[in-house]
Amino acid sequence: MLRKSITLSFILVLSLSYVAAPPYIFTVNTGSILFRSDAPMELIKASSNQLKGVFNAEKKQFAFAVNIYSFKGFNGPLQQEHFNENYLESDKYPRATFEGKIIEDIDFHNDGVYNVRAKGNLFIHGVIQERIIKCELNIKNGTISVKSNFTILLAEHNITIPKVVHEKLASEIKVEVKADLINK
Amino acid sequence: MRRIVAIIIACITMQCIVAQELGYKSFKLQENNQSFKLNILYKSDEGYIYAGTTDGLFSFDGISFKKINFSKAAVKDTVTAIFQDNTHQLWVGFKNGQIAKRFNGKLEYIEPEEGTPKVAITSFLQDKQNNIWFATNGEGIYYFSNNHIYLIDTANGLSDLHVRSLVLAGNGDVLAATDQGINVCKLLNGKKQVEVIGPKNGLPDYYVTAIAAAGNNNFWIGLQEKGFCLYNHNNGQITVPAATANWNYGQINTLLVSQKSLWIGTDEYGLLKQSGFDQPITLFNSWLNPSNKINNLLQDNEGNIWMNTSAELIATTGNKLKLLPVYNKSVFETIHSVLCDYQNNIWVSTGGGLIRYAAEKGSYVSKNFRFPELSSKTDITSLYQDINHHIWVGTMGNGILLLDPQSGQYRSLTENPLLKKASILSITGNGNTVCAGGLEGVAMIFNITAINANITTLYNYTNYNNIDNIGNNYIYTVYKDSGGRIWFGTDGKGITVLENGKFTHYGKENGLKDDHIYSFTEDLTGNIWFTTEGAGIYRFDGKVFKNYSAADGISDLKILTLKTSPDGNIVMVNQKGIDILNVTTGTISYLHNKQAIADVNSDMGSVSQDTAKNIVFSTVNGIVVYSPVENTTNQPKTIIDNVQLFLTDVDKDIPGNFTYDQNSFQFNFTGIYYTNPDEVRYQYKLDGLDTTWILTRDRYISFLRLQPGKYKFHIRSSLNENFEGADEALYEFVIEKPIWKKVWFITLCIIIGFAGVYGFMKRREKNLKKMQQLQNEKVQFQFQVLRNQVNPHFLFNSFNTLISTIEENPVMAVDYVEQLSEFFRNIVNYRDKDVITLGEEISVLQTYFYLQQKRFGENLKLNIVVPEEVKKHTFIPPLTLQLLLENAIKHNAVSKEKQLMINLFIENGKYLVIKNNINLKITKEASEGMGLQNIINRYNLLSNEPVSINNDGVNFTVSLPTLKQ
Repeated sequence: MLRKSITLSFILVLSLSYVAAPPYIFTVNTGSILFRSDAPMELIKASSNQLKGVFNAEKKQFAFAVNIYSFKGFNGPLQQEHFNENYLESDKYPRATFEGKIIEDIDFHNDGVYNVRAKGNLFIHGVIQERIIKCELNIKNGTISVKSNFTILLAEHNITIPKVVHEKLASEIKVEVKADLINK
Repeated sequence: MRRIVAIIIACITMQCIVAQELGYKSFKLQENNQSFKLNILYKSDEGYIYAGTTDGLFSFDGISFKKINFSKAAVKDTVTAIFQDNTHQLWVGFKNGQIAKRFNGKLEYIEPEEGTPKVAITSFLQDKQNNIWFATNGEGIYYFSNNHIYLIDTANGLSDLHVRSLVLAGNGDVLAATDQGINVCKLLNGKKQVEVIGPKNGLPDYYVTAIAAAGNNNFWIGLQEKGFCLYNHNNGQITVPAATANWNYGQINTLLVSQKSLWIGTDEYGLLKQSGFDQPITLFNSWLNPSNKINNLLQDNEGNIWMNTSAELIATTGNKLKLLPVYNKSVFETIHSVLCDYQNNIWVSTGGGLIRYAAEKGSYVSKNFRFPELSSKTDITSLYQDINHHIWVGTMGNGILLLDPQSGQYRSLTENPLLKKASILSITGNGNTVCAGGLEGVAMIFNITAINANITTLYNYTNYNNIDNIGNNYIYTVYKDSGGRIWFGTDGKGITVLENGKFTHYGKENGLKDDHIYSFTEDLTGNIWFTTEGAGIYRFDGKVFKNYSAADGISDLKILTLKTSPDGNIVMVNQKGIDILNVTTGTISYLHNKQAIADVNSDMGSVSQDTAKNIVFSTVNGIVVYSPVENTTNQPKTIIDNVQLFLTDVDKDIPGNFTYDQNSFQFNFTGIYYTNPDEVRYQYKLDGLDTTWILTRDRYISFLRLQPGKYKFHIRSSLNENFEGADEALYEFVIEKPIWKKVWFITLCIIIGFAGVYGFMKRREKNLKKMQQLQNEKVQFQFQVLRNQVNPHFLFNSFNTLISTIEENPVMAVDYVEQLSEFFRNIVNYRDKDVITLGEEISVLQTYFYLQQKRFGENLKLNIVVPEEVKKHTFIPPLTLQLLLENAIKHNAVSKEKQLMINLFIENGKYLVIKNNINLKITKEASEGMGLQNIINRYNLLSNEPVSINNDGVNFTVSLPTLKQ
């Protein structure tokens, strides 16, 4: 129920932003997500530049989403197939989202670099985890550049790793997000 | 060899101002003449007080503040919260939102992935799942769970993000004091739930500023402007004390529950106290200067109550000592006896009468009772209230007066003739018995019955004035114990006890060092305690007298009165204060001028007990009430603050393991005793070095260059030199022996030594064997050679050759015989030798060849290509080449068509090769194959290189390793 309403509000906010953009609504212009699994036997990297999102500077609320299928990279096409079919079950859960609110109060009219924390629900593989994620906001001439690094524990999102690939897949996935948000 | 070195510890200077009021002490934190503000106080599990200041975290030992530094750079962040979790881990919260933990005595910031708040941390808590929670001033409440930090904020239902403090409820809920009511937070299967308790639930004020557990899931709630109330978390009920109506003490900052009292620290009005829910509020702010703002309250393990303003840390004696300043000094000088009655009113005797101070609405109202028949100089020595509430007044020279305080009516006890003009020294009682003792044989017991409720009714009494029974007619005290025994304390004749109609006497013959007995009391386990004129006090368990004296820590032996305090300990009142003997441990503690107790009236009748059995006595500043605080200690708690190896801290909580050169230690320790920190003495012992305890007043001890071994450092602390039952702290460590002194290393060396010798012996044995074998081979070879040479074939062939030569050429025949003889001589010469030079061998070979060539002519050819140098310096077993040549001739046919060609040469400087073409005889000559094998065996013993024999069908080659000596 909660999740439904969050998703609804997300879609609403997103669609609203296309109709008329009040000055406090920012949307992702370019955004990328990169993840790394650094296991003893193998380093896997994949990235997507199809990060979408919207940020309401007045209410400090945000919503970000990425299509799981858009992740490219990996160490081979088979690995990508496993990623989508066995681990993330992308048919069932095609998107990963992070929705919530910035904890700190920031004046978005003032240019500068701000370290803030975003409290929200991270939705991956059908599991919602409440997370606080540190980000660096660089506000300059009405654009907001977001940079963030965090880790995802596979176990927390019910992603189980078969024993045979334990040495090849890390249980902690490092994620790096970069996005430029503009008011348009 | 032990060397103790005093090392001056650089410590932060501090200033201590001892206030002159009862028990108040104040401490200011100063560093380099700069004062720092105190924000927060915290008491650790071991009893240490920590102070969070604008200059960081400090520990306080009762004397000075000591800064707890960061392990890295000096950080000067303001500490706003302190907490110790159930693994004793210390957490520190800062104004800037950072959080640090203490590791090995030093602070380190934690760096969670989620980051830390940007606003001040106000409070910590550990819930029943061991999650650590922390509250912030502006971001709500966070908690750690499964390696993540979670936030409870307004989105989760928190009514306000400004949280002042957190408290854990009995059912595991977390209660948060916020600017918008109490927030009850709970985690149900990881889901956050917040319930707000505000004015609609009966809370008098929105703004909750303090919260303190009051037991049974009840919580005192401090409010911003409406005082305080009690919240029951079981049923959600809020009850408001009557005393908080029309509250005019402003904002409450902090609350502390101690015994049945609630202590309240306010923002503007200093310290308040409520002794019970229905009681009025007492204000204590006369000593606060200049600020009346109290930030925190805590009770130490001895029952003292501490508080801080932003400038000072202040200690009070809390509920332990109470001063009732009911009279002035001129009244005090006339007091000889004190009584606390059944309504806890205080009675004191003055010249010719009594004054009663009755507690009414928080203050004391005095009333005088005069006895005209007494002159103003008559001593009133004792006061006692019986079960009918009549007050018995014992006088010097005027017997006993009986007063009904209700009506003010009184009379002299004239029914007992002994009382006429009697001098009474003490009146005691138990239930319906009143006992009086005095001069000239006064020892009497009155039985009180219901009819005595009327003061005029005469009493039944028994006198014990037979000197034969008691032993003396100066009776200081008569005491009836709970078992009905009557005890008489005499002046110089010890104790007499009357039990079942039988008098038993105890005196010096029973080991009593003094037989002037002043006062009796019975402890909670039925032991009788009494005090003597000069030998301290005794405990009598019915069989044995146990003495406690100055050596056991009694500060003053002039003790006229003993009382049993509500906790069962024995209280001795002297002129300077009180000594408290713990009946379980035998330890003695003191309350005296350090607690601002001054000029105590220690007269025999001047100590009383209130209805709760608290000890009531008079001092120049007023009546003092001593009430022991539950679950507190009266002895120092010994703590090893840190252990240093070469002045660097090591982890003091785990046994140490050091190498032989890590051998110089310093131990810093504290006997925490906030009541009188200067009085703490220490005894230490280092097992492995010392065999006895060593007394010290220092709080550190160094041990330099300890020998390898197992050590156990013991330290204990006491308030006197009696260390029996003292609290002890330990640190165990091992200094390993250097590697060359370790058993395994020495063993290894021995094994290697033995192995070496064994190897040498083996080798030698092998060599000897080899020599032996060589000898055998040689003998065998000689035998072979001899047998070969005396072989009839050889002789037959040689002689045939000789016969034909004699006929053809007699000169050559002579030569031939000479050669033959030379050959045999060589055999004889060389047979005993292991080796000969190659040159010698070649000459034997040539002799033999000469003999054979005479037989075969030009069809037998020998070609020797060996440099002269090699001939001289190369060795060979004798007759080897001769044997090989002989073999060649033996096995091959020699004819004109098939010549036998023998080559002798050196190959690569390593081998001597003898090679002949193969031209096998059709009929094989009988051969034992001994010769060649013998050569191989001999070479095996002489050289590491093997003899190689190669038969490729064309040539037969024997390669002999060259031997150099």
